[in-house]
Amino acid sequence: MGVGRGAYRWFLVLAAACLLIAAPSPAAEQAPDASEGCLTCHGQKGMTLTFQNGETLDAFVDAAKFRDSQHRSLPCTACHSEFSEQNHPQRVFKNREQYASTSSAVCRQCHADEQLKKSPVHAALLSGGNRSPVCTGCHNPHSITSVTKGAKFLSENELCLRCHKHAMSVTLRSRERISLTVDAKVLEGSVHAKLACFDCHFGFSSSQHPKRNFGAQRDFSIAQAEACRRCHFDKYTKNLESIHYAVLSSGNLNAPVCTDCHGSHGVMQARADKLKSSKRCGRCHQVIFATYTGSVHGTALVEEHNTDVPICTDCHTAHTIVETHSQDYRGKVPEICGKCHGDAALMKKYGLYPGVVNSYLQDFHGVTLRSYQLQKGGAAAQPTRKDIATCVDCHGIHDITKTSGPKTNLVKARLMKRCQKCHAGATEEFPDAWLSHYEPSLKNAPLVYLINLTYKLFIPFMLIGLILQILLHIWRYAVNR
Amino acid sequence: MAISSHGSIKRFGIGRIVEHQANALVFAILVITGLSQRFHEYKVSHWIILSLGGVDTMRFVHRVSGFLFTALIAVHIAMGVYGVVRKRWPASMMINVNDFRNAMENMRYYFGITNHPALCDRYDYKQKFEYWGVIAGGFLMITTGLILWFPVQFAQFLPGEFIPAAKAAHSNEALLAFLVIITWHIYDAIFSPEVFPLDTAIFTGRISRERMVHEHPLELARMENVPVEEIVKHHHGPAGAKTDAGE
Repeated sequence: MGVGRGAYRWFLVLAAACLLIAAPSPAAEQAPDASEGCLTCHGQKGMTLTFQNGETLDAFVDAAKFRDSQHRSLPCTACHSEFSEQNHPQRVFKNREQYASTSSAVCRQCHADEQLKKSPVHAALLSGGNRSPVCTGCHNPHSITSVTKGAKFLSENELCLRCHKHAMSVTLRSRERISLTVDAKVLEGSVHAKLACFDCHFGFSSSQHPKRNFGAQRDFSIAQAEACRRCHFDKYTKNLESIHYAVLSSGNLNAPVCTDCHGSHGVMQARADKLKSSKRCGRCHQVIFATYTGSVHGTALVEEHNTDVPICTDCHTAHTIVETHSQDYRGKVPEICGKCHGDAALMKKYGLYPGVVNSYLQDFHGVTLRSYQLQKGGAAAQPTRKDIATCVDCHGIHDITKTSGPKTNLVKARLMKRCQKCHAGATEEFPDAWLSHYEPSLKNAPLVYLINLTYKLFIPFMLIGLILQILLHIWRYAVNR
Repeated sequence: MAISSHGSIKRFGIGRIVEHQANALVFAILVITGLSQRFHEYKVSHWIILSLGGVDTMRFVHRVSGFLFTALIAVHIAMGVYGVVRKRWPASMMINVNDFRNAMENMRYYFGITNHPALCDRYDYKQKFEYWGVIAGGFLMITTGLILWFPVQFAQFLPGEFIPAAKAAHSNEALLAFLVIITWHIYDAIFSPEVFPLDTAIFTGRISRERMVHEHPLELARMENVPVEEIVKHHHGPAGAKTDAGE
């Protein structure tokens, strides 16, 4: 004990003096004289109790707060029963935890289990197993006030973090041991910094702490992710249509839920960091992610931190992630690629031709694809719908390459192969029917260019001639009458 | 050709009437199903595509119509050749030097240089222009249409570029044909003051003698076995007798 024998003698002298001097007063009722004696020393800051493992505990008692507390009528010795005016034993504790649990046993001498169990927090703690509950972890014994009077904690989060900031864990039926520790700094750094714990952890409040009964950690994560819909209902409903939700409802619990991508206590806007965002998808989609990082887009993202390039969610969307082998998704491909490749300003930056999308859309396949999309009910309502070639068939999907340079032939080979998929018997000449996004000109596709030019001149010439003849005819008829 | 009691003359037999109606119907279907592909971005095209049950159905209808159009042209040519060669029909649709003279003559008439229109035979130069437009344009449309229908087969002996070239020609020629029909032919058959509200010749097969005098005096003269001057004299006055478009 840090308090020396000398100080104790001092206390006796002072206590005696106080007994002589002090007149009866209301304060005397609240803080019995005996306690005044203790406070002579313990009311001063700087007193500490040192444990065997080196941890320390502040032995200071704020007299003012104690006089306002529920325990104000109790003498110090009521709880610190080993101590008396005569006796101030030297005690030895291994650590802070041992001291706290010993102290908490004292509380339960007055506060019977039956009384405690009325509070759900206490009930949960009491049924918590081997470890005896530590009252003082939440309730400062010297300044304790009535719970019902409130104003005990600064915020709800502070209430929860009183316990959950400590290393705590729970063992589930699956024998998984999951941490219940919440890092306040992570919480403060998240976009949910202003939310209270109870906003997401339904059923819990300053008076409610129900015992949860999850078999496995994944069950808990999936159930807890349902909390997000309370605010993010639009994203929640979008997710209901996604392939991830379909996989989840088919029984595969590994399918991601909100928190798997966005995090839980450190929740962030998923797009804030494009590289991180795509890496998150890569946690499950490892092969595809590896392919992507080798593509022209992925390389730029990983090596140059280029944020112009598309990441997973740009094509697949973040929430309405659909089955990509569907014809409906295929139908959207030109539009998806066109978001960037039809953007003249963006394409100029990379020296790319922004007319590629339109050249596709104006061609036979593009017209067919867009016409399909006019029809209601999607591909399901169109059983005869064909698999129309789109951007990805020649340029690749996750392995999109540059069309110039060493991989030009790869694109050409893909084109040939893709033509043959629908046009059985297509020979080597056949892919030339596709003008490779070139606008017809004297240099590229001169025949097409000249035919178009001829009609461009001939149609107005012919039409104006005919209309003039009609007008002359009418004029002559009118004059003759 | 018989002159009826009402002063009308038989101009077309049932065969030509049926042929025209079939052609008109097939042409209309081809234009609707074809141009809504060329102008696929317009709302009206969307409506047409959806009404026909989608672009694939529409293309099927277009191809069937194209086949019927080809059949009509083939039957027409076969009958025409047979008729002219074996039955000694007059080859009245053939273009000759008089057609160019008539065109110039009519221009002079329109500008008031002469006071009578060109004296034309059974088919005037405008009708021949339309007729040969359909035949020549039809051949172009049939050829390019087949290339678009069977691109793989054609690419086996044609350069690949011929396929987009065929598409350009097919689509442009279609637009031209459509524009010529809705301006020139519809004017001639409906809005022209001489026939308004409708030239019924292709429906009834008959034409009034008065219109024959105006529009086909040479044919009328031949039918009535009188000189063309006799036919037009009362209509054009003395000057009308002098024509360089005579027989």
